[in-house]
Amino acid sequence: MTTYIYAFLFCGFICMIAQIILDNTKLTPGHVTSLFVVIGAFLDLAGIYDKLVLYCGAGALIPITSFGHLLIHGAMDLATENGVMGLALGIFDLTSAGISVAVVCAFILALIFKPKH
Amino acid sequence: MTSKFNNVYIGNTYTIASVYEKDGPISDYFNSVYDKDLYYGMDTFEKAEEMMLHDSIEKLIDNSKMKDSDINYIISGDLENQIAASDYAMRDFDIPFLGIFNACATFGEGILIGANFIEGKRANNIIVSTSSHNMVAEKQFRNPTEYGAPKKKTTTFTSTGAASILLTNKKNKIKITSTTAGRVQDKGITDVNNMGAVMAIAAADTIERHLKNLKIKPNYYDLILTGDLGYYGKNILIDYLRTKDIDISKNYDDCGLILYDRNKQEVFAGASGPVSSALVLCSYILKEMERGKYRKVLLVPTGAIFSPTRVFQKDSIPSIAHAISFEVNE
Repeated sequence: MTTYIYAFLFCGFICMIAQIILDNTKLTPGHVTSLFVVIGAFLDLAGIYDKLVLYCGAGALIPITSFGHLLIHGAMDLATENGVMGLALGIFDLTSAGISVAVVCAFILALIFKPKH
Repeated sequence: MTSKFNNVYIGNTYTIASVYEKDGPISDYFNSVYDKDLYYGMDTFEKAEEMMLHDSIEKLIDNSKMKDSDINYIISGDLENQIAASDYAMRDFDIPFLGIFNACATFGEGILIGANFIEGKRANNIIVSTSSHNMVAEKQFRNPTEYGAPKKKTTTFTSTGAASILLTNKKNKIKITSTTAGRVQDKGITDVNNMGAVMAIAAADTIERHLKNLKIKPNYYDLILTGDLGYYGKNILIDYLRTKDIDISKNYDDCGLILYDRNKQEVFAGASGPVSSALVLCSYILKEMERGKYRKVLLVPTGAIFSPTRVFQKDSIPSIAHAISFEVNE
């Protein structure tokens, strides 16, 4: 049960920070998204993000910060096997499913639908 | 530079509006409204804009009982890259074409050029037209779908439609009495979501010079009308001119607030786009001038003449405004 509460609080906290940034700076949603990916990556590098996932579950896996966390995870995994080349090989290892689905879905939807307004 | 005119009259106008304009307060004044969707029966938004512009010119020539050969020039511009809507729409007319761009002040620029041609007796009939399309502008630079967040309340909403006006040397009810060409202003604002603030400065400069050059007070006009400053820009202009001892608060309004009803429609600070001032002038204002509600109107279309590339390179947004004085012919 506590996971549900932590998930709600953590994910809400991330969204709140994003809203504060959007309302008070000239940064666009694109900037904020990129910023969160980088923050997620650094948190993972410091070993913090895995703990957040443990306590908050989907609350930490769903927001975009998780993308940064997965980038580092994939890169580090293959780096331990293949050395420096592994960094480049592994960076999109764990996120490739997400990226592929996004590309395929976008393609199919663009075929079916026409923009309206 | 302020020029006075004695022989330039408004012959006729034709306006085409779309879905959002139909829900606005002045929808009864438009010549035609296409409210099914934003496609105007075409496959793409770009072609829709082109056809709206094309039809507004064609219907204007027909309604004026003229032929292509009676028109000396068409002066037209729009918001698309390379003013594509105008360029492509002109393929079907055997009329010399001058393409112009001053963003949302394009229509004012066109009238200013056309009036000078006619006053100088270099032309008898000139059509000035402009168009804009909400989705074309959104896609191109305003707010791409990928933006993915609620818009800021200071943003404006690009209007959809086309408007054409026939300037002629034949005597008619309404004449153009003077114009003041704008100077490019830039106060270093870089926020593309607050064009009202960017353009208010240009409007203030042009209005101030217009009044000074003609030695008149703001109350000379029944109505002073800026192009598309929107709610926030309008208030900035009133406040700014007050610091120069010019009080326009009693007889001033903005086309962006006339075309849409901000309280009922989700249009943020109000309408924008070159066609917003053109639609308001060619439908509501000129008709009400004929009916006697207004006798003297100063139209000041305002344009943020910026390049998205330069803004991405952290450059600021220049703006311009032209003033055109319309009076009922006594």
